[in-house]
Order: sequence, then C-alpha cells, then structure tokens
Amino acid sequence: MKEKHRKKRRDPYRLLLSAVMLFYFLGFFMLGIKDGNWESFLLSLVVPAIIFVGTAGIPKLFPADKLLLSLTNFLCALGVLVLYRLSPQRGLSQAFNYGVGVGCMVLCTLVVRYWRHWKWATPLMMGASFFLLMLPLAIGTEKNGAQSWISLGGMSMQPSEIVKLALALSVSYLLSRRRVVLSILFAGVCLLILMLQKDLGTALLYYGVTLILLYAATGNKPLIGAGLLGGAGAAVVGYQMFAHVKRRVAIWLDPWADPSGAGYQIVQSLIAMVNGGVWGVGLGLGNASVIPEYYNDFIFSVILHEFGLIFGLIVLCMYMFIVIRGSMIARRSRTVFHALLAIGCTGLLALQTFVIIGGNIKLIPLTGVTLPFISYGGTSMVSSLCVIGLLQGVASRNEAGVDEDRALAMQGGELE
Amino acid sequence: MGVSVDWYELLAMLMRYVFVAIGILILWRAFCWLRRDARAYKKEMRSLPDAGLIGEVVNLATGKSQPLPREGMMGSSRFCDIRLKGAGVRRCHALFALEEGKGLQVIPQRGSRVIMAGVELRGPAHALHGTELQLGNAVVKVRLFAGLKVPHPSQFQVDQSMYDEQEADAPWLEEIEDVPSPFGVTYAQEEAPRAPEAYQAADAGQQYPQQAQWQPSAPVIPQEEPEDDEAIPYQSPLPQRRRRSGR
Repeated sequence: MKEKHRKKRRDPYRLLLSAVMLFYFLGFFMLGIKDGNWESFLLSLVVPAIIFVGTAGIPKLFPADKLLLSLTNFLCALGVLVLYRLSPQRGLSQAFNYGVGVGCMVLCTLVVRYWRHWKWATPLMMGASFFLLMLPLAIGTEKNGAQSWISLGGMSMQPSEIVKLALALSVSYLLSRRRVVLSILFAGVCLLILMLQKDLGTALLYYGVTLILLYAATGNKPLIGAGLLGGAGAAVVGYQMFAHVKRRVAIWLDPWADPSGAGYQIVQSLIAMVNGGVWGVGLGLGNASVIPEYYNDFIFSVILHEFGLIFGLIVLCMYMFIVIRGSMIARRSRTVFHALLAIGCTGLLALQTFVIIGGNIKLIPLTGVTLPFISYGGTSMVSSLCVIGLLQGVASRNEAGVDEDRALAMQGGELE
Repeated sequence: MGVSVDWYELLAMLMRYVFVAIGILILWRAFCWLRRDARAYKKEMRSLPDAGLIGEVVNLATGKSQPLPREGMMGSSRFCDIRLKGAGVRRCHALFALEEGKGLQVIPQRGSRVIMAGVELRGPAHALHGTELQLGNAVVKVRLFAGLKVPHPSQFQVDQSMYDEQEADAPWLEEIEDVPSPFGVTYAQEEAPRAPEAYQAADAGQQYPQQAQWQPSAPVIPQEEPEDDEAIPYQSPLPQRRRRSGR
C-alpha cells in the first residue's frame, strides 16, 4: 500500500497536472482580485477543472499520450488567460473555441486509431482540399493582403487551416505508397492556389511540410535540393509579384524607418518585449493592447511583456517538448504511413511556431500565421488541436502495436 | 472585491516569480516524464526484440533471412525494407503490408514482375506463411510468426489436383490448436495429421499451392490419420533465423 502511494507520488504526471492547474487558478484569481469580477473567480475554478478533465479524462476513454495532452492544454489555457486579461470577450470566445477544438481532437484521434480505408479516403480528401482552397478565391474576403477568409452564416473561417490537415494526411499516405510524383503534384497545386490567394505564410508552411515529408519518405537529396531551389525561386517571384510581401520585407529590414506607419506593429511589439524584461511587468499591469493584432499575430509579444523573457523561453521549451514528443511518436510508429503522418504533424507545429515567433522577434519577415494553441481564432485553434489529435491517434496505434508485440512474445514469437 | 492599485501592483510583481517558478516546475516534470518514458520504452523494446516484426523473408538462393516488418517495400534500393539482389529486381519492386485476417498483402509496382506460388501477379495478392515469391530472379520464402491474426495456409480450400498425395500432408497442421478466424469462426484442429517421413525431402523442392479464394466457411480438408504413432518433427531445411540482440 505504502509502495503504491509512493509510486503515485513519484509519478511525474500528477505533479505536472497539479502545477498546470495551480498556474491557471492563480492567474484567473489574480485577474478577479484586480477587477473584482465574479467571472474571473469562476474561471479560476472552471479552467483548471476543464484542464483536469481534458488531461486526465481523455486517456481513460482510449490510450492517449498524457504528456502531449498536458502541454497542449497548458498552452491553450495560456491563450485563454492572456486574451481574457486583454479582452474578456475574446477570452471567453477563445475558451469556447478551445472546447470545440478538444472535441475535434478526440474525433481525429479516433479516426487515426480506427480508420483503415485511407486508400479511397485520400482522393476524396484531395478533391475536398482543392474545393476548399478555391472557395476564398470565389467568395472570400481580403484581410491583411491575403484573400484567404470566407464568411459563412456570420462566421468567418480560413479554409487553408483545415486543408493543412488534409495535406498532412494525403501526402503521408501517398508517400507511404511511393506515389512521390502524385504527392508533389498535390502539394504543388495547393501551393499554387495559396499563391493566388496571396497567403504566403500558409504557403510557406505547406511547402516546408511537404519537403520534410519528402525527405523522410525518400531520403532523395537531389529531389530535396530541387525542392529548395524551387522554393527559393517561388519566394523571389512572390516578392516581385506582391506589393504586400515587398512591404513586409522592407519593414523587417528596417522597422524604424517608419515607426508610426508601416513599421508601427513590429516596433510596438519590440518595445513591449523589451519593456517586459526578464521577469515581465506582471499579469494585469502591462499595456500590450497598444500592439495592433495583439490577440493574433503578436500574442507572443504580449506573453513576453507580461510574464517576461524567462517565461517566454519556458513557452518555447514547451513547444520544443511537443516537437520532441511528436518525433518520438513518429519513431515508434509501426507503419510508414503513421510514421510519416506523425512527422508531418510535428513538422507543421514546429514550422508554424518558428515562423510566427521568428516574425515577432524580427528574426524573419512577419507572415500572417497564428501561434498554435495560443493565438485567437477558432479555425486556428481547432486545426492545431486536430493536428495534436492526429498525433494522439498515431500514439494510440503505437500503444496497440506494442500490445500486439507483447501478445506475440507471449506466444513465443517464433516462426510458425 | 477589487483591491487598490498599489496592492495589486505589489501582488502582481510578486506573482511574476511564482508564475516563472511554476513554469519551470512544469518544464522539469515534463522533462522527467520524457526521460522516464524513453527509458521505459527502451527497456520494453529490449524485452521484445522482435517488436514491429511479423516474421522473416528467406532468400532461397543464399539462405539468408531478413526481418519482415509489418509494412514496407521490397526491391534492390538501399531504402527498401527487404533488399534483394538479382537480375530483374527493380529498385522499388513491390510493396507489402500485413492485413489482419488476410495475410501479407503484396502489391507489385508498375512494370515489376512478381510471381507468387507460381502465379504471376496482376494486382495485389496475399501471401501466407510458407508462400514463395519470385521478384525478378530472386526467389524468397515468407515465414510469419505464430500468433499473427492471419489465416493459416491449412484453412484454404485448395485445388486437389495441385497436390500429390505427399504434399497434401501439410506439416504445419501439426502444431495448430485453434486458429482464430477474422470472421469469428474458429477452426478446430483437434486431430492434426502428422507429417510423413518423406516430407523433409519434399520440402526443399516443394511447390506451394496457388493461393486460393478465401472461403471462411470452408472446412479444413480432412486428413487421414497416419498409421505410425511416432510423430516426426518438422525441420525446415532453411537456416534458422538468428534473433537480434536488441532494438
């Protein structure tokens, strides 16, 4: 009995979950103290409860990776906390998106865990992807220079975020069947449509993931070299063709040339980060709402401003742990398709995080992608959680594979 | 219930350190978890040296065997899971994947010639334990682990004309107990016939029967009980596969 109790106490999962819950209890409780708002006090109880159910409850339904769940839930709740502090309406809306995303994540996990008919599902997904990507060109609205949004029944969404999942699934399946040319064609057409939408940030993600998958599946260096050259060529063409790309590159090179005009966003972001310092200005004391798009593209700057550089590094490490975990899942996969799918999902998350955080800290030109799990936006939150769902599905399949191996070993594991 | 600005400022400034401390604690626990899980998995894999494998493929010309994963590619390329050398073996010759309840699905790539048990494949087909495959000039035999959820070769209703009397006495029937069927039917193998004395000699040059249509309801072909009581254990003429020390 004592031994069991000691084992439980030493279990890293319990302490990790408790720490995550404590973080959000304190965060929302502080906001409640500041504003005297009952809603914040309520959230200080509800959010940790949701985290507990999401992290401890889901693995009871089917084998799921608890570490991945814990880290993802931490990042999602961080987004809710930061958004609620700056704009309560957006925070509550993000909490709703988070709930929907968790539902979709469970669905994706179950699909990867139990669905086996990818052979005929893949052409369907490819067709649906083309249709969805073409929609913004037909009925879409332009936002920040890119025509990638559509409005349906009062709700706006970005189809390219959903197609991201279909791309990972389809290219992984095609490459697992050695349909290299077809997979390149599919990704190429998707990239072309995204170029027509002028959505270069998402195009960069698609391109990067396809390249990673191609390398993982074929190991063909000349092909990857040709892909890199093609990408560089497309970047030059994009720079020459689109005015907003030229403007963004110019801002990136020297944001101080026009600090109150074109460079206002990035300048405010840099000031906010520097102002936060090592420890941050304190939750609720910052003034990060002066940054345009603080809730979306620049949410990492807000985190650095209020929580400080060290906490920013902690958040980065969490993304890194998610990537490491995804790689571990890929390495443990039993089939080529699942391994490629895990690599694709991990690559998507890693690239997206790098592109947006790199843009925030002026490492690379700013692109209009969101920070996974944290940025405000329903489509972004749902698609990010779906990516985690796909990874969870592969992890669940791996677990089942190990069980099968154990069963085989019990029977001797000998040849018939 | 809101407190004064000064008090809140003091509290928020203090809590900055608490948040960072909790963040570091979360990271540390996550790191411990990752490390512990990696170690546990390594340990598990050491105890399961055949993890991820479903059998082996034996090259009948050289006698060398290669571990057979659940899914992969056969061909001459170094990226292939089963690498074969020989005239006519293409870089990516055929795909294979284990299909539960059916067997090892072999899908010849376009322009590749695959002969399964003497029949040239025009599309995907399922190989079972003991099936011979010819890819180009390379001839290999598939050997699957016992306990896999695949039909046993003995469960197939085969064309009797393809057997001579000796070959019909399948040696693999000897060790079967109950084979679970993918359709929920259990094929009782209560009194398995024993291998004839001459089997070992015949095995070397044996032509395996063509993979017949899967008939779940088909009974196992009744075999006559041999007269002699002493069972002759089946010994494969092929070299025994060496177990790998660890994965």
